[in-house]
Amino acid sequence: MNNGKLKIGIYELTGCAGDALLILDCEKELLDIFKAVDIQSFLMASSDNRDGKLDIALVEGSVSTEREIEELKDIRERAEIVIAIGLCATVGGIQARFTDPNEWKKKYKEVYGDIEMTHTKPVQSKPIDAYIKVDYYLPGCPIGKEQFLDLFTRAVKGTLPERYPRPVCVTCKYNENDCLLNKGIPCLGPLTADGCGSICPNHNVPCFGCWGPVEGANLTSEYYLLKEKGFDIESIKKRMANYSGTKLIDFLKQFKKESK
Amino acid sequence: MKIVKLKEANLHSFLEEISKEADLWAPVKAAPDRYKFEFIQDLNKIDTDCTRTILPPRKILLPPSINMFQASEKEYKEDFSHVSKKIIFGIHPCDIHGILIMDDFFSHEFYDPYYMESRKNTLLLGHSCWPDENCLCKSTRTHIIKEGYDLFFSKLKERYIVWIGSSKGDDLIRTKANLFEEDISDKDIKEYAEWCDQREKAFQTEINFDALGDLMELMYNDPLWEELGNACLACGSCSNVCPTCNCYNVADRPALEKKYSDIKRCWDACTLESYSEVAGGENFRKKRADRLKLFYTHKFQAYISKYGKPACVGCGRCVATCPVDINVKTVGKSLDGEKVDAFWKRLSKEVTK
Repeated sequence: MNNGKLKIGIYELTGCAGDALLILDCEKELLDIFKAVDIQSFLMASSDNRDGKLDIALVEGSVSTEREIEELKDIRERAEIVIAIGLCATVGGIQARFTDPNEWKKKYKEVYGDIEMTHTKPVQSKPIDAYIKVDYYLPGCPIGKEQFLDLFTRAVKGTLPERYPRPVCVTCKYNENDCLLNKGIPCLGPLTADGCGSICPNHNVPCFGCWGPVEGANLTSEYYLLKEKGFDIESIKKRMANYSGTKLIDFLKQFKKESK
Repeated sequence: MKIVKLKEANLHSFLEEISKEADLWAPVKAAPDRYKFEFIQDLNKIDTDCTRTILPPRKILLPPSINMFQASEKEYKEDFSHVSKKIIFGIHPCDIHGILIMDDFFSHEFYDPYYMESRKNTLLLGHSCWPDENCLCKSTRTHIIKEGYDLFFSKLKERYIVWIGSSKGDDLIRTKANLFEEDISDKDIKEYAEWCDQREKAFQTEINFDALGDLMELMYNDPLWEELGNACLACGSCSNVCPTCNCYNVADRPALEKKYSDIKRCWDACTLESYSEVAGGENFRKKRADRLKLFYTHKFQAYISKYGKPACVGCGRCVATCPVDINVKTVGKSLDGEKVDAFWKRLSKEVTK
């Protein structure tokens, strides 16, 4: 099928498949999406998938088995543009939070025991840019409809996707919330990529950082601010590590000594 | 200037009448500890005891995101759907000054039809207020307003003295003229004068704004800026809550199956890292300290040289908002050589330990 349309593949590695689901959930736009491009592979939507050359590959999920490493490398070879979608693909997700390989091995054993994996060998979970070059990133847990459609439309029209290097605080202020940090509530809004509509702070729940760290975040200041507000170092570190995957490892390491 | 009197009990009848012809906006209590300007459908929600709203009333004139026009390959269609007839009731002197600063900015060199069309259709009905510890408007001399409003309501016991500031304001009074009295008594005058006296004394914070323009230039390379930069969370909140911040970004929103793009205009903030990023990924102000310098130069110094007054109206929103205490109060006092107790000061001791 070649009709001048861009060939697109949507792939899911390790994750909850929430991002693929969100794409299917764009019900109003779905017909336009399928009209505008030629979807070659989209496991959640179709059983008839092809593994040929692609113009754009959207990849969700982190890499956590050797088979996924091969699959990902194959996608990269076949696709002109690779876009990481969702928290797991962009930063590694919750499953990448065990940053010390020994800690990961210990946790793995706790969960799976000594069972031998026969179909593929598990590896410590990492974001996709640990193995391949990624052209664009779309954060989110799951990704937001508006941002997805915007990125997708721009990619299809051949213009550069817009980046979202803003913290949650921007939208939180537009929503006229009182800053939770000022009330002594450990909110990660200033460290977290915007796009969720500040949905947690809107309900007086602090931001947990589920869209992943925002570029240019001032981790040190937030760390000391929470410390001054009486939170202990381990709980601050845990909070920051929860959804930041592999991205804050170096920052969090520097406070190791202090915590003992 | 014409002055009339209105019984407090008659306020809602008046507001109900004038809201028939325009969208009425006023402060409401959004939560026990915060106020915001809202489009009023239930007059009982209006809360005139409000000290300050989270966002300034400029959000009513230009919301955080609007569509400017729709562009296709051959033509473009302007979109002014954010413009409608509006009345803002309960706006305080500082915020009226803020709007006058925006008017100045958007009506001359950089004439902005999206702001001006909205502004021309909006009437300002001011309301008297009482300062808290974050109000700096006496220092910026914006705690009193003598121009720019259409009506101004000074609250006395169970009644208002209503100052008519424009012919449009006068027209509003005439829609329900029977509610207003014209005889201002000696008792009213005495009560008003006493209230003014007490209010003058109620301001708790003073900053030497006259000196800040020069100090800003003299201390442009002071280590103070690095201290502030170390603590700044780069959340953009100081800009977003400021009544005189007017920067925006413009972005295309192409439609998938159609041959046009919506061109959106969204608030932007110079304190955000992405603000100074240009094509190719270069960033002129990657450092937080440099961005804060830009923000405070604009507020304290550059605006004075251009418009003769600082671009700070002392509303205290940045003071109430910034989680790390970087605000007009602490920065102004530090520039003026005063010692301040602020998180950014304590952090700089912590990180240099």
